[in-house]
Formats: sequence, C-alpha cells, structure tokens
Amino acid sequence: MNRLDATRIVVTQAGDAAIIASLGHPAYDLFAAGDRPRNFYTWGSMGLASSIGLGVALARPDVRVFVLDGDGSLLMNLGSLATIGLLQPGNFVLVVMDNEQYATTGGQATPTSHGADLEAAARAMRIPSTATVRTAEDLVAALGGPSQRGPLVIVAKVDESATDARPPLDCVALKRRFMSAIGEDES
Amino acid sequence: MTEPRSTTLDERGPRQMVRAPQWAFGVCDGAYAAGCRDVVYVPDNPLSHVLRVFETRYSDVRLVLATREEEAFGIAAGLYLGGRRPAVLLQSSGLGNSLNALTSLLVPYQIPVLMVVSMRGDEGEWNSAQMPMGRAVRAILDSIGIPHVTSESGEATHETVQRAGTRAFSTRMTHACLLPKLLTADDARRLRRDDEPS
Repeated sequence: MNRLDATRIVVTQAGDAAIIASLGHPAYDLFAAGDRPRNFYTWGSMGLASSIGLGVALARPDVRVFVLDGDGSLLMNLGSLATIGLLQPGNFVLVVMDNEQYATTGGQATPTSHGADLEAAARAMRIPSTATVRTAEDLVAALGGPSQRGPLVIVAKVDESATDARPPLDCVALKRRFMSAIGEDES
Repeated sequence: MTEPRSTTLDERGPRQMVRAPQWAFGVCDGAYAAGCRDVVYVPDNPLSHVLRVFETRYSDVRLVLATREEEAFGIAAGLYLGGRRPAVLLQSSGLGNSLNALTSLLVPYQIPVLMVVSMRGDEGEWNSAQMPMGRAVRAILDSIGIPHVTSESGEATHETVQRAGTRAFSTRMTHACLLPKLLTADDARRLRRDDEPS
C-alpha cells in the first residue's frame, strides 16, 4: 500500500468528516486523493496537524475529525499523544502515514525505520483504540464505520508515492473555505 | 462564530470564595469579555492564580493543558477553525517554543489567538537563565508581526486583556498581553479575597 492509496481510503471512509493534513506529502496526497472543502491543508507548522485536529474536535464535537500526519511530523510533537490521551476526544481519528522517512525533504530515515513504534507510543499515552496496518483491507477495518468511537490512532505503514499535485498556496483562502464548510463563517 | 458577550464581575452571580490577586481576576474577566471560552495553557507559577479563578468562577470556560507551548498554539488554532475564540496562557520562556506555530500557522493563515504572557527576565528577575528570552520577547513579537500590550497594574489588567482580545478577534491577528514579573510577583504577595473590596 502506498501513501496515496491509503489517503484515498481515508477520504472515502471519512464521509463528511473534517480532514486536517500535515504539510508536505500528506497534504499533497490529500489534495490528489480528493480535494474537498472540509480539507484543511497546512503549509508549515510541522508537527502540529494532530494538535490542530484536536482543537477542531474539541470545538465541534458534532464533526468527526481525521488527521493525516507523517511519522517524522508526529515525532516532532509526541506530547500531542499525551494530550489526546488525557482528553479522550470521541470524534478524533489520527492516521500516521509511516513511510519511515522524511520523504518531503529527500528521504532521510526516521527512527521508525529502526523500530521506533508510534502505535506503542499512542497506547502508552492511554489512547484506547490503536492499530498498525500494512494493507488496504486492514486500513479499512481499522478505520471502522462512522460510529467508530475515538480517539483512534492508526499507524499505516506505507510506501512512498510522490505526487505532483499541490493544494493552493493562499493560506487565508484555505482557512476560510474550511471554516465555511463546517458552518463557521468568520465575518 | 460565538458572539463575544460583554460581562462584568457582577454578572457572574454569587461570588465563590477564591483567593487570587487582582491582576489574575483581570486576566479572566478580560479574556471572558473578549469572548474566550477556551483557554489552552502551559502553566507557570503566576498563571496558577489565573487558572484557579477560571476554575472557580467560570464554569463555562474550558481549560486545556498542553505539553508544550507550540502544541498549545496548534490546539488553539484548531479551536478557532471550529468557531471558538481561544486564549493561550504561557510563560515568556515558552515564546521560543512557539515560534514555528506562530510564524507558519497563526500569522499566515490569519488565525487569531489571545496570548497572555507571564513575563520572566524583566524587572525583578533573579534567574540568569531567564534573562535572554525575557529581554527579547518584545523584539521577537515585533519582528514576527504580533501586536503586544503590557498590563501595568492590577486595576488595568481587565481592560488591557479585554482590548487585546477584542482587537485580535476583530482584526484576525493574534495579539499578546504581557504581564510583567513585578505585577505578578507584587500582587501575589498581597492576595485579596474575592469578596473583599479591592
């Protein structure tokens, strides 16, 4: 399973959920897999996708929130797992696209290539539902249906799949589109 | 988007007994009046008074503990995207931990947060490790385009915080309100009871 395949599965399973994507390849793949107004693409703030998603999930318990993170990004903000474990948001799903490398910056190996286990980290932080998946079937099963309770952390072991697709660069427009899509007009 | 509700101390109903310095009541009342119902924080000593006032007097304010200041700003950004008006409480030393969140998320996406910064490294500091960042706080905020104000007294804190918050959410620019160490340290020595006249 490559990351774009995995991203397509998440988009399909997400239905009308909000999807927050970490910068770089996770965001590019989300744009390629299915651009939709309820996608929020980050162009910076490496590590913070899970935190942004947690904030949306707390603000809007009526909206399911999916986060597409990378292994390198999550390693930059591991404390986020502790906060998610503390708050136990039922509408929150974190999918870590673990390709065991910093693919956006040239493919340098991350600690997960040497056995660092992000699912174990999530469990250690008291996140009740976790999985590590390597196939499309297992990813679909781990995501469950719309009634799947969170917090759920899935580590998807994926192959690299560089796409040329890029979301628009206008950060303010990306924000406004996302907010309007979940019924939060700024004006 | 939740409309900010104007409030005064008296509208909070019967006052619960809570001991805290006047500036700490000012932070809570000012942030609440600016519409903040979500407060993300990394604690420090003076801010413990603010947290206690929020806990005892504002049952409709959600307090969210973060493990690091950068994470706090990420959570706050998400809260804003979800229609809330978040405040972040941090010590000035945590500004260094926050810079990537501020410069590559809050500023370019125009995501406003009310920052309340408990100062170290200013007048009254005793710890040399706190000096470099403390001295740099205002220059850093200026250089990354985050407006800041400083509360000079316990009496002024409510209005200073409220104005910073109101301006942040109306202009969609994160604003900071700095609480000097002399304010938080001095007032902390003269704790007043909430039911006593100030």
